[in-house]
Amino acid sequence: MWQKSKPYLLLLPAIGTIVLLFFGGLFDGLLKSLGYFPAIGETGFELTAYTELFRSSAFWESLSLTVRVAALSSLISAVMGAAIAVSLFMLNESAKSRNTQLWHRMFQLPLTIPHLVGGYIIVLLFMQSGFMSKIFANFGWIGEIQEFPVLVNDPFGWGIILTYAWKEAPFVSLMIYPVLSRIHRSWRDVSRVYGAGNWSFIREIVLPAILPAWTIAAFIVFVFTFSAFEVPFLLGVTYPSMLPVYSYQLYTSGTLADRPEALAVNIVLAALTILLGLVVYYFSKRWNVMKGWD
Amino acid sequence: MNKKPFLLKTTLFILLFIIIGLPFIPLVLSSLSFGWQWPHILPESFSFRAWEYVLFGSSGTWQAVWMSLLIAFTVTAVNILLAIPAAIALVRHQLRAKWLWEAILFAPIVIPPFVAVMGIHLTFLRLGLTETIWGVVLAHISPTLPYVVRAIIISYSTLSVDWENQARMLGAGPVSRFYYVVLPHLLPGIAAGASLSVLISLSQYLITFIIGSGQVVTLPILLFPFISGGDPAVASAYSLLFAGIAIVTLTVMDTALKKYYQNKKTAIEKG
Amino acid sequence: MSDLRIINLEKQYSQTPKKKNPAFSLKPVDLTINEGEFFSLLGPSGCGKTTLLKLVAGLVQPDAGEIWIGDANITAVPPEARRFAMVFQQSLLFPHMTVEDNVGFGLKMQKIGKKQRLAQARDMLVHVGLDGFGSRFPDQLSGGQQQRVALARALVSNPRVLLMDEPFSALDPGLREEMRDLLSRIHKEFRFTVLFVTHDREEAFHLSDRIGVMSEGRLLQVGKAKDIYEQPESKKVARFLGLKNIIEGNVANGRFASMDQAIEFPVGESIKSGASYMVLRPEMLKAAHRHDLQSPDSLYLRGTIQQLRFNHGFYTATVQVEGHQLESHFSNQEAEGMAVGQEILLVVELDAIHLTSE
Repeated sequence: MWQKSKPYLLLLPAIGTIVLLFFGGLFDGLLKSLGYFPAIGETGFELTAYTELFRSSAFWESLSLTVRVAALSSLISAVMGAAIAVSLFMLNESAKSRNTQLWHRMFQLPLTIPHLVGGYIIVLLFMQSGFMSKIFANFGWIGEIQEFPVLVNDPFGWGIILTYAWKEAPFVSLMIYPVLSRIHRSWRDVSRVYGAGNWSFIREIVLPAILPAWTIAAFIVFVFTFSAFEVPFLLGVTYPSMLPVYSYQLYTSGTLADRPEALAVNIVLAALTILLGLVVYYFSKRWNVMKGWD
Repeated sequence: MNKKPFLLKTTLFILLFIIIGLPFIPLVLSSLSFGWQWPHILPESFSFRAWEYVLFGSSGTWQAVWMSLLIAFTVTAVNILLAIPAAIALVRHQLRAKWLWEAILFAPIVIPPFVAVMGIHLTFLRLGLTETIWGVVLAHISPTLPYVVRAIIISYSTLSVDWENQARMLGAGPVSRFYYVVLPHLLPGIAAGASLSVLISLSQYLITFIIGSGQVVTLPILLFPFISGGDPAVASAYSLLFAGIAIVTLTVMDTALKKYYQNKKTAIEKG
Repeated sequence: MSDLRIINLEKQYSQTPKKKNPAFSLKPVDLTINEGEFFSLLGPSGCGKTTLLKLVAGLVQPDAGEIWIGDANITAVPPEARRFAMVFQQSLLFPHMTVEDNVGFGLKMQKIGKKQRLAQARDMLVHVGLDGFGSRFPDQLSGGQQQRVALARALVSNPRVLLMDEPFSALDPGLREEMRDLLSRIHKEFRFTVLFVTHDREEAFHLSDRIGVMSEGRLLQVGKAKDIYEQPESKKVARFLGLKNIIEGNVANGRFASMDQAIEFPVGESIKSGASYMVLRPEMLKAAHRHDLQSPDSLYLRGTIQQLRFNHGFYTATVQVEGHQLESHFSNQEAEGMAVGQEILLVVELDAIHLTSE
């Protein structure tokens, strides 16, 4: 008896905690989004919050902003991350220096920077009177503050995109690098024999090899950006706002009556991330991406 | 022959500088500035005013640092205690519906935890857990625990079951086997998971804010009003301090582990 | 007396869909290993010998059957409480402990004080020829040294039975022989009970008091090395022992005849009629001289030498006798003057021919 139930007893503390704190919270939120709210005397179930939500243009604008920001962030960080990984790989190939470890560490620095700080760094760099603007002015490229584009707290979400691109590029490179390092030196020699230069080596050998890991990494960044709060809260505008911020606004600004709608946004958000997560999981299993990373 | 690596290194260095170095320059300059008008590339005058305020003023910085670390390490300790048995069960035992247990454990990696926190907020309120450290610690568990479990699972699955069998044959019971054989092997994994857990806990803003209701002041809570439109110099100093504490904490944990293994003589990867 | 008795021990593995292990079953095994005996289980990989060893160790639970040591039934006793020791294929030294601490680990588990533990560990290290290596770490030792430490670790707590699972198979051939001699010497000195698993015939023959030959989950034959070599009970055992010249035939009316009737001779009355196999050990086949008197107690075979190979110290000849290729060993002297293509008359005493069943 003990032997049979032992593994489940070992699992119990961790599973219990997650079920209680996490799924309990999700379920609690789901009930309240359906209008079941005994604390204020509501014990019926209704879909009002959802119908209201799907009828409001604020929700749809928020959703489209969220998708756009997440897509661009993952795209830019994917390109930057690949550039970092490939140059680290080339450096490692050409010089067997012990410094490579240090280079790796340096490039991973943004990963350890808290998101709020990352966001503030982008503010200082890219706001209209920011560091970039000052540099441009000194080169004589712009004459007035207003000539510098609005990149922070802008309705398009550039500030958010830049922050995530900067912070997640090292993550992408971290995912790609193990795959790259498996590309054997002799492949390089073989391709040389067949007359492949640096560029065709990258195009013919390196790119196809890293493509699966690369796609998955970009997808993970997408899911992550999709549900992030801190940076959009700091660098976005009040309207339209990204979904997590939108939910927060509904939750805190309104009365208790607005809360079901906020929680409905959350449930929609959770459902979307589960869906995206399953897509990532499916493809990573299929392409066997995590092997080198684990 | 030597020219190419040199060229490559130079390019790489410039890339590194632009991506990693450049963004920190305005942060450092701003924290030391005393007025910095457009279009001056450097502040008009420098001062340690902001740093003095942050480090020595009655700004509550150190209470917030202490609070952040206290929460982060408590959360991490709880996580380790929960994660080790779970990892043992998932790696060493035949489980029915293993995928389900894994899905439950790893769900908070995908589904944003603030969703659950908003949902459970009112329940916490009724239980008197809001505005308390314990409430915040509980709220920080779901975003961090999955990473700790994952790190320990990865580490444990590299240990062949033969080692435990060997210890058994030498008369070691379950506790001795774990303490003398399994734990030393798991330490790097535990440390990696703990680092992630500390880092994630340190940088939580929304969850801490909802459950702590502004009464549990961690560094991000203290920082936020400044960076969303406060004094830029103070905001910059706080940001640097915050980033510094995250990096220092991770480095200290990393070095402590390396020290441990130098003393114990590392040979784990040989197994 | 504390003999190790294995009574009708049985284990069935069903085919799991996830792992591609085929279904495997260990048929009921009945075996008694005497105290102080060196017993080897010999068989090809996958024959169930390691499963049997793990059952004895307690690392695997049997479906049926019992294990006794002396007059105690230990079937339900967990491995850590059996006071057995085991040496695996890999040395499995704990990498974060010194050699001494590794050797003393079993004593530590028995709550023996540190001083005595270290003293005993060092003493045992002397026995395995590693005096002065105690404060090193496992990764500073060679593969052979690591396996010696593993042996010392197993022996130091004076186990009731020492189980060994192909302990030398990961070592180089030269080292393997050295370890074999060491183990043999130590066994003579301490006289502990050993259950040794191997697929290496020479190793088993060299070390064991008795050998059990296993195949496909069945214990086929148990006996002294010489007995099972000279009188294998079945074709399978003979094949696995590497015996050459196994010829299928029939026994009828007190005579054996090969399938093609080319070889024929009288057999003793005790031999049952029916399908049978004759086993001709190569060293029992001699070259006969034409002018010798043909003895009725011998079998004569005429053939052609097809191949003549020099092996360390003797010649191996392949002789074609009608439809059969027979292998035969000749001393240098005998082989003198032989050449490929030559006709030859082989002789073997009827007593030296072994008949066995399927």
